[in-house]
Amino acid sequence: MMLGQEHAQELGEHAAGAAEKFDAGKTIIHHVSNSPIDEPLLHLPKIAGIDLSVTKHVLMLWLIAVFVFLVVTFTVRKFLKQERPIPVGFMNALEALVEFIRDSIALPNFGKKWVNVYTPLLLTFFCFIFCANAIGLIPVFEVLGLLDHFVLHTGPDSFIKHLLEGGTTATSNFNVTAGLAVITFFAIIVAGSRAHGVVQHWINLVPHGLAWPLYILLIPIELMGMLVRPFALTMRLAANMTGGHIAILAILSFVFLFTEMFGRAIAGVGVGLAVSVPLATAISGLEIIVVLVQAYVFTLLSAVFIGMAIHVHH
Amino acid sequence: MNNPLVQPDPGLFIWTVLTFLALFALLAKFAWKPLLEALDSRQQGIRKALDDAQAAKQELERLEQESAQIIRKARVEAEAIVTQSRADADRLREEMRQKAKAEAEGIIRNAERQIQLETSRALQQIRAEAVDLSVSIASKIIQRNISKEDNERLITDALKQVEGRAN
Repeated sequence: MMLGQEHAQELGEHAAGAAEKFDAGKTIIHHVSNSPIDEPLLHLPKIAGIDLSVTKHVLMLWLIAVFVFLVVTFTVRKFLKQERPIPVGFMNALEALVEFIRDSIALPNFGKKWVNVYTPLLLTFFCFIFCANAIGLIPVFEVLGLLDHFVLHTGPDSFIKHLLEGGTTATSNFNVTAGLAVITFFAIIVAGSRAHGVVQHWINLVPHGLAWPLYILLIPIELMGMLVRPFALTMRLAANMTGGHIAILAILSFVFLFTEMFGRAIAGVGVGLAVSVPLATAISGLEIIVVLVQAYVFTLLSAVFIGMAIHVHH
Repeated sequence: MNNPLVQPDPGLFIWTVLTFLALFALLAKFAWKPLLEALDSRQQGIRKALDDAQAAKQELERLEQESAQIIRKARVEAEAIVTQSRADADRLREEMRQKAKAEAEGIIRNAERQIQLETSRALQQIRAEAVDLSVSIASKIIQRNISKEDNERLITDALKQVEGRAN
């Protein structure tokens, strides 16, 4: 009850533009970034100075991992349990995906010998990143928020209120994408070492048979390249996933900005219906493509980098 | 750094690595490896099925060719048999006709010879009969009027006359 009043008051403030001004930048950042680490969903002890508390994005990672694991394993197990392996229903889509990643990403980069060894990694990358990207387009928590506001009426410190804090897209957080890129970074080293031996892998980093002064230049460059690749993966995915959401939220902010500007809710709603909703819908359509493409790009580039360690040519 | 967008969060980083590795390990073990194996084996199965179908098709073609050849051969043989039997029949018919003709000719010739024989025998009989008859007639007419020598002469003359007429 108290909360309802508070919210009504908040709305009133927005509409009247009286006490607290609507800060579009702050609101948007709040909606795309992680929930604050000092107010986590679940407090966990610090280990070696690192706060392992469960924030919104950690929870999202878990949910996605469980979701991907259950869906994929259930589908594959059902498919394999059959006497004759005939794909039905969702298995058709999964099989198309698996064969696409195996035949057009893994095979050209890894070659026949390694294709079945590293394809599972690529498949996991794609499924995990794709689901993490895509869940940002589905307003699950917004629906939960509506439910809470109109039906449940939980207190301001409830778990649901905490759940509503922060953005949904874990892959828009560069800490998450850095974690994924580090997997690629080590996969490159492991693949190179398995294909050529540990020592030879590091020798392969620079082309052989050059005059020795060149190596003074080349070795730092190649070492930098080794680090730049995962860094590029990190930033590309995080920035892409953040950018689209910021654009959508900025356009939706027009509703509140115009309401404040004219002091009337009707102005905001009008602009919202005429401009914001159509534009946001269009950008969401674009986002669906971006979500797919970024998952694909991360997978493809990981495959290319791993392939470069397996088939060395300068 | 106050902007939460660029706030480093080592905890989240570690959770990402752990979560992803766990998901990867589980999926690889329970889904991807068996699935990739199944897809590979199915691929091989399809390749084998196609090869088998190809082999079966070739075998069928071979059998078809063989059976066509057999039929062709049989037809040629049947034709030869028919031709042969037609020729045989013709020859047989001709032979029988010849034989029948010869037989008929033989019968006719026999009959003719018989007829001639009978005719000449009949003529001789008629002639002897005529002599006896004329002798008896003559002797009746000239009984005792002539001597035995005259009689003999007359008979011979008469015979000559008869013979001359008969010839």
